[in-house]
Amino acid sequence: MVVPDAVYKRVTVFSTLFAVAAVVGGFLLLDVATDRATAELSEVQPLVALAGLGLIAIGAVTYAFSTRFRADGMGNAKDETDELSDNG
Amino acid sequence: MSLERKDEHDHDGWMESRDLTAIEEIYLTVLLWLDRRLRIVDYLEILENMYYKVNFQMPKSHTEQYNLDNKFWYWYPLYALGSFSTIAYVVAAISGALLGFYYAPGAGASNGTPALAYNSITFIMTELNFGFFLRSLHRWSAQVMVAAVFLHMLRVYFTGAYKEPRELNWIIGIVLISLTMVFGYTGYLLPWDQLAFWAGQIGVEMSLSIPLIGEWVAQLLFGGFTLSQSTVQRMYILHVFVLPFVTTGIIAVHIGIVWMQGIAEPH
Repeated sequence: MVVPDAVYKRVTVFSTLFAVAAVVGGFLLLDVATDRATAELSEVQPLVALAGLGLIAIGAVTYAFSTRFRADGMGNAKDETDELSDNG
Repeated sequence: MSLERKDEHDHDGWMESRDLTAIEEIYLTVLLWLDRRLRIVDYLEILENMYYKVNFQMPKSHTEQYNLDNKFWYWYPLYALGSFSTIAYVVAAISGALLGFYYAPGAGASNGTPALAYNSITFIMTELNFGFFLRSLHRWSAQVMVAAVFLHMLRVYFTGAYKEPRELNWIIGIVLISLTMVFGYTGYLLPWDQLAFWAGQIGVEMSLSIPLIGEWVAQLLFGGFTLSQSTVQRMYILHVFVLPFVTTGIIAVHIGIVWMQGIAEPH
């Protein structure tokens, strides 16, 4: 998906910000849930741990999703599905 | 420099003209909404602009113009010594400020009891959390700075970087290497152990050996002809108040002139 430069900048800046915050936050939650990976299995807080894993996943998905937006001239034109082919 | 928006891209109009999926449209709408409130991209663009202005370069360097890189490349690592000195200075300043929270400049009585200054060093080295580390950092950065400043001077001399139009900066550099050594000497006396005491004694006698003004210099720097509380106090104030302001100011001028004149190429 080729977008205007102005949109591309905003997508990149905010997606990166969110992805980083989500992944770091996810690991913090995991640390809390497992007492920095030192807690016994019975003392792990499952909800917090899952929330942490979820946040990491959200960060990864946000980043992956943002990569579908490209500025003009980026990437390989043959992968461009956005433009309709008129078969020559 | 202002945050006035120059060209407002018609995001909504553009988005309607494209065939976006629902998720894509929500995603973009949210991000664009956020950007209109927070304007992070505008701030980043200001930073980018400043980066290019700060890194403004003269058109072509001497070595590029005459294709001399094959002759002079081996000098280039030594061009880092000035920055290296500055970094060591900053590290010493920060660690020194932290040490200042725990150090007290006090000489001992003459009955053999340890001095207050020495006791505070002992406290820092044996009881204070990270105290050993902090003092070691301060000492090592000081040693590194003296070495780097000296090697920086050798580099400047042997590449001819002191030549016209940079004579003024060479002279400022001589002042700075002297200040560095005064910094080192005043700091050396502060622990007020045997090493410091007898180094102080040497300092007094060296001052006294200066013709005509010797006694005046000894009075001014050491607070008398024998070592006393005044000596530690004066060394302390020189080390933490006088020299930091003077040296930092002159370093700023020194680096400012390098920035204006550009890096000297080997002659």
